[in-house]
Amino acid sequence: MADENENEKMDNENQKPEKMFTLKKWNAVAMWSWDVECDTCAICRVQVMDACLRCQAESKKDSYGKQDCVVVWGECNHSFHYCCMSLWVKQNNRCPLCQQEWSIQRMGK
Amino acid sequence: MSTPARRRLMRDFKRLQEDPPTGVSGAPTDNNIMIWNAVIFGPHDTPFEDGTFKLTIEFTEEYPNKPPTVRFVSHMFHPNVYADGGICLDILQNRWSPTYDVSAILTSIQSLLSDPNPNSPANSMAAQLYKENRREYEKRVKACVEQSFID
Ligand SMILES: [Zn+2]
Ligand SMILES: [Zn+2]
Ligand SMILES: [Zn+2]
Repeated sequence: MADENENEKMDNENQKPEKMFTLKKWNAVAMWSWDVECDTCAICRVQVMDACLRCQAESKKDSYGKQDCVVVWGECNHSFHYCCMSLWVKQNNRCPLCQQEWSIQRMGK
Repeated sequence: MSTPARRRLMRDFKRLQEDPPTGVSGAPTDNNIMIWNAVIFGPHDTPFEDGTFKLTIEFTEEYPNKPPTVRFVSHMFHPNVYADGGICLDILQNRWSPTYDVSAILTSIQSLLSDPNPNSPANSMAAQLYKENRREYEKRVKACVEQSFID
Protein backbone atom coordinates (compact mmCIF):
# COMPACT_ATOMS: atom_id res chain seq x y z
CA MET A 1 0.00 0.00 0.00
CA ALA A 2 2.69 2.40 1.08
CA ASP A 3 4.49 1.75 -2.16
CA GLU A 4 1.44 2.57 -4.20
CA ASN A 5 1.04 5.88 -2.40
CA GLU A 6 4.64 6.54 -3.15
CA ASN A 7 3.96 5.85 -6.81
CA GLU A 8 1.06 8.26 -6.85
CA LYS A 9 3.26 10.93 -5.40
CA MET A 10 5.76 10.26 -8.13
CA ASP A 11 3.04 10.58 -10.72
CA ASN A 12 1.98 13.90 -9.33
CA GLU A 13 5.50 15.11 -9.53
CA ASN A 14 5.79 13.90 -13.07
CA GLN A 15 2.84 16.04 -13.99
CA LYS A 16 4.64 19.22 -13.11
CA PRO A 17 6.48 19.51 -16.42
CA GLU A 18 3.15 19.16 -18.16
CA LYS A 19 1.87 22.20 -16.35
CA MET A 20 4.85 24.11 -17.67
CA PHE A 21 3.78 23.05 -21.09
CA THR A 22 0.29 24.46 -20.55
CA LEU A 23 1.84 27.79 -19.73
CA LYS A 24 3.69 27.76 -22.99
CA LYS A 25 0.43 27.24 -24.77
CA TRP A 26 -0.88 30.40 -23.14
CA ASN A 27 1.97 32.24 -24.75
CA ALA A 28 1.01 30.86 -28.10
CA VAL A 29 -2.52 32.18 -27.70
CA ALA A 30 -1.21 35.66 -26.99
CA MET A 31 0.94 35.51 -30.12
CA TRP A 32 -2.03 34.54 -32.17
CA SER A 33 -4.10 37.52 -31.11
CA TRP A 34 -1.14 39.76 -31.94
CA ASP A 35 -1.14 38.31 -35.42
CA VAL A 36 -4.79 39.21 -35.82
CA GLU A 37 -3.93 42.79 -34.93
CA CYS A 38 -1.48 42.78 -37.81
CA ASP A 39 -4.23 41.76 -40.19
CA THR A 40 -5.63 45.27 -40.07
CA CYS A 41 -4.85 47.31 -43.16
CA ALA A 42 -2.62 50.06 -41.75
CA ILE A 43 -3.79 52.52 -44.41
CA CYS A 44 -7.55 52.50 -43.87
CA ARG A 45 -7.56 50.70 -40.47
CA VAL A 46 -10.11 48.09 -41.50
CA GLN A 47 -9.43 44.35 -41.23
CA VAL A 48 -7.95 43.14 -44.52
CA MET A 49 -10.59 40.41 -44.66
CA ASP A 50 -13.32 43.07 -44.82
CA ALA A 51 -13.81 45.50 -47.67
CA CYS A 52 -11.65 48.63 -47.44
CA LEU A 53 -13.13 51.99 -46.44
CA ARG A 54 -13.30 53.13 -50.05
CA CYS A 55 -15.23 50.05 -51.15
CA GLN A 56 -17.46 50.32 -48.10
CA ALA A 57 -18.26 53.90 -49.01
CA GLU A 58 -18.80 53.20 -52.69
CA SER A 59 -20.29 49.73 -52.90
CA LYS A 60 -23.98 49.56 -53.66
CA LYS A 61 -24.30 46.11 -52.09
CA ASP A 62 -22.01 45.09 -49.26
CA SER A 63 -21.62 41.45 -50.23
CA TYR A 64 -20.69 42.31 -53.79
CA GLY A 65 -18.15 44.92 -52.76
CA LYS A 66 -16.45 42.50 -50.40
CA GLN A 67 -15.69 40.07 -53.22
CA ASP A 68 -13.99 42.74 -55.27
CA CYS A 69 -11.76 44.08 -52.53
CA VAL A 70 -8.73 41.78 -52.37
CA VAL A 71 -5.68 41.65 -50.13
CA VAL A 72 -2.17 42.23 -51.43
CA TRP A 73 1.04 40.97 -49.78
CA GLY A 74 4.37 42.62 -50.49
CA GLU A 75 7.78 40.91 -50.61
CA CYS A 76 8.25 42.38 -47.11
CA ASN A 77 5.21 40.32 -45.95
CA HIS A 78 3.15 43.37 -45.08
CA SER A 79 -0.42 43.16 -46.28
CA PHE A 80 -2.94 45.82 -47.26
CA HIS A 81 -6.11 46.12 -49.26
CA TYR A 82 -5.20 46.17 -52.93
CA CYS A 83 -7.40 49.28 -53.30
CA CYS A 84 -5.58 51.15 -50.55
CA MET A 85 -2.12 50.17 -51.73
CA SER A 86 -2.68 50.89 -55.42
CA LEU A 87 -3.57 54.49 -54.57
CA TRP A 88 -0.48 54.90 -52.40
CA VAL A 89 2.11 53.38 -54.79
CA LYS A 90 1.06 55.93 -57.43
CA GLN A 91 2.82 58.59 -55.37
CA ASN A 92 5.49 56.55 -53.57
CA ASN A 93 6.42 53.01 -54.51
CA ARG A 94 7.46 51.99 -50.99
CA CYS A 95 5.79 49.94 -48.31
CA PRO A 96 4.23 52.48 -45.93
CA LEU A 97 5.18 50.33 -42.92
CA CYS A 98 8.82 49.40 -43.55
CA GLN A 99 9.79 51.83 -46.37
CA GLN A 100 11.11 48.97 -48.52
CA GLU A 101 10.65 49.14 -52.28
CA TRP A 102 7.16 47.77 -52.86
CA SER A 103 6.80 44.66 -54.96
CA ILE A 104 3.81 42.36 -54.88
CA GLN A 105 4.38 38.86 -53.54
CA ARG A 106 0.82 37.65 -53.95
CA MET A 107 -2.77 38.76 -54.08
CA GLY A 108 -5.95 37.12 -52.92
CA LYS A 109 -8.09 36.64 -49.88
CA MET B 1 -21.88 62.20 -47.84
CA SER B 2 -19.36 59.87 -46.28
CA THR B 3 -16.14 59.70 -48.26
CA PRO B 4 -13.19 57.36 -47.50
CA ALA B 5 -11.25 60.29 -46.02
CA ARG B 6 -14.13 61.17 -43.68
CA ARG B 7 -14.56 57.55 -42.65
CA ARG B 8 -10.87 57.29 -41.92
CA LEU B 9 -11.04 60.45 -39.80
CA MET B 10 -13.95 58.99 -37.81
CA ARG B 11 -11.68 56.01 -37.07
CA ASP B 12 -8.83 58.33 -36.10
CA PHE B 13 -11.15 60.13 -33.69
CA LYS B 14 -12.38 56.88 -32.18
CA ARG B 15 -8.82 55.70 -31.65
CA LEU B 16 -7.86 59.02 -30.08
CA GLN B 17 -10.74 58.68 -27.62
CA GLU B 18 -10.23 55.01 -26.82
CA ASP B 19 -6.46 55.09 -26.59
CA PRO B 20 -5.51 58.71 -25.85
CA PRO B 21 -1.77 59.44 -26.06
CA THR B 22 -0.43 61.41 -23.09
CA GLY B 23 -0.05 65.12 -23.49
CA VAL B 24 -2.04 65.61 -26.67
CA SER B 25 -5.71 65.92 -27.51
CA GLY B 26 -7.73 66.69 -30.61
CA ALA B 27 -11.23 66.66 -32.02
CA PRO B 28 -12.97 67.59 -35.26
CA THR B 29 -14.70 70.97 -35.32
CA ASP B 30 -18.47 70.87 -34.80
CA ASN B 31 -19.54 71.28 -38.39
CA ASN B 32 -16.61 69.92 -40.37
CA ILE B 33 -14.75 66.66 -39.78
CA MET B 34 -12.06 67.83 -42.23
CA ILE B 35 -10.90 70.55 -39.83
CA TRP B 36 -9.67 69.63 -36.36
CA ASN B 37 -8.63 71.56 -33.31
CA ALA B 38 -5.85 70.08 -31.22
CA VAL B 39 -3.84 70.86 -28.13
CA ILE B 40 -0.30 69.75 -27.33
CA PHE B 41 0.90 70.10 -23.76
CA GLY B 42 4.54 71.08 -23.45
CA PRO B 43 6.62 67.97 -22.65
CA HIS B 44 8.11 67.68 -19.15
CA ASP B 45 11.76 68.58 -18.65
CA THR B 46 11.75 70.89 -21.65
CA PRO B 47 11.38 74.69 -21.69
CA PHE B 48 7.92 74.07 -23.20
CA GLU B 49 6.73 72.40 -19.99
CA ASP B 50 3.32 73.64 -18.71
CA GLY B 51 2.45 75.27 -22.03
CA THR B 52 -0.84 74.44 -23.74
CA PHE B 53 -0.29 74.96 -27.45
CA LYS B 54 -3.25 75.05 -29.80
CA LEU B 55 -3.13 73.79 -33.37
CA THR B 56 -5.43 73.36 -36.34
CA ILE B 57 -5.26 70.38 -38.67
CA GLU B 58 -6.80 70.59 -42.13
CA PHE B 59 -7.38 67.42 -44.14
CA THR B 60 -8.21 66.99 -47.81
CA GLU B 61 -10.25 64.23 -49.45
CA GLU B 62 -6.89 62.65 -50.37
CA TYR B 63 -6.16 61.82 -46.73
CA PRO B 64 -4.52 59.47 -45.72
CA ASN B 65 -2.62 59.36 -49.01
CA LYS B 66 -1.70 63.02 -48.56
CA PRO B 67 -0.72 64.54 -45.19
CA PRO B 68 -2.91 67.18 -43.59
CA THR B 69 -1.82 70.80 -43.10
CA VAL B 70 -0.92 71.32 -39.46
CA ARG B 71 -0.42 74.77 -37.99
CA PHE B 72 0.18 76.16 -34.53
CA VAL B 73 -2.44 78.75 -33.59
CA SER B 74 -0.56 79.60 -30.41
CA HIS B 75 2.52 81.73 -30.88
CA MET B 76 5.60 79.47 -30.95
CA PHE B 77 9.31 80.06 -30.63
CA HIS B 78 10.84 76.88 -32.02
CA PRO B 79 13.57 76.19 -34.62
CA ASN B 80 11.15 74.19 -36.80
CA VAL B 81 8.02 76.36 -36.59
CA TYR B 82 7.49 79.19 -39.09
CA ALA B 83 6.24 82.63 -38.07
CA ASP B 84 2.77 81.76 -39.41
CA GLY B 85 2.60 78.61 -37.26
CA GLY B 86 3.46 76.20 -40.09
CA ILE B 87 5.58 73.23 -39.04
CA CYS B 88 8.70 71.93 -40.75
CA LEU B 89 8.56 68.22 -40.00
CA ASP B 90 9.61 65.51 -42.45
CA ILE B 91 6.71 63.16 -41.70
CA LEU B 92 4.27 65.95 -42.64
CA GLN B 93 6.06 66.44 -45.95
CA ASN B 94 8.28 64.04 -47.89
CA ARG B 95 8.36 61.26 -45.27
CA TRP B 96 4.60 61.03 -44.91
CA SER B 97 3.11 57.53 -44.74
CA PRO B 98 -0.60 56.73 -45.18
CA THR B 99 -0.36 54.57 -42.06
CA TYR B 100 -0.12 57.65 -39.83
CA ASP B 101 -3.20 58.93 -38.06
CA VAL B 102 -4.03 62.02 -35.99
CA SER B 103 -2.64 60.39 -32.89
CA ALA B 104 0.71 59.70 -34.59
CA ILE B 105 0.85 63.22 -36.06
CA LEU B 106 0.27 64.90 -32.70
CA THR B 107 2.76 62.75 -30.82
CA SER B 108 5.40 63.42 -33.50
CA ILE B 109 4.89 67.16 -33.14
CA GLN B 110 5.08 66.79 -29.38
CA SER B 111 8.45 65.05 -29.68
CA LEU B 112 9.62 67.78 -32.05
CA LEU B 113 9.14 70.20 -29.15
CA SER B 114 11.55 68.12 -27.04
CA ASP B 115 14.02 67.50 -29.88
CA PRO B 116 14.23 70.43 -32.29
CA ASN B 117 16.21 69.96 -35.46
CA PRO B 118 18.25 73.17 -35.77
CA ASN B 119 19.76 72.01 -39.07
CA SER B 120 16.58 72.56 -41.06
CA PRO B 121 15.39 75.77 -39.45
CA ALA B 122 12.03 77.40 -40.11
CA ASN B 123 12.88 80.07 -37.54
CA SER B 124 16.56 80.88 -37.97
CA MET B 125 16.69 83.03 -34.82
CA ALA B 126 15.32 80.17 -32.72
CA ALA B 127 17.71 77.72 -34.38
CA GLN B 128 20.71 79.96 -33.74
CA LEU B 129 19.83 80.57 -30.10
CA TYR B 130 19.14 76.87 -29.61
CA LYS B 131 22.65 76.06 -30.81
CA GLU B 132 24.59 78.98 -29.38
CA ASN B 133 22.73 80.49 -26.46
CA ARG B 134 20.53 77.95 -24.76
CA ARG B 135 19.67 80.30 -21.88
CA GLU B 136 18.27 82.97 -24.16
CA TYR B 137 16.44 80.27 -26.18
CA GLU B 138 14.77 78.97 -23.04
CA LYS B 139 13.83 82.49 -22.00
CA ARG B 140 12.09 83.11 -25.34
CA VAL B 141 10.32 79.72 -25.15
CA LYS B 142 9.12 80.42 -21.60
CA ALA B 143 7.58 83.66 -22.88
CA CYS B 144 5.55 81.56 -25.36
CA VAL B 145 4.52 79.20 -22.59
CA GLU B 146 3.17 82.13 -20.58
CA GLN B 147 1.40 83.54 -23.60
CA SER B 148 -0.21 80.15 -24.25
CA PHE B 149 -2.18 80.52 -21.00
CA ILE B 150 -3.81 83.71 -22.27
CA ASP B 151 -4.49 82.63 -25.88
ZN1 LIG C 1 -7.23 49.30 -46.47
ZN1 LIG D 1 -11.42 48.07 -51.59
ZN1 LIG E 1 6.61 46.34 -45.56
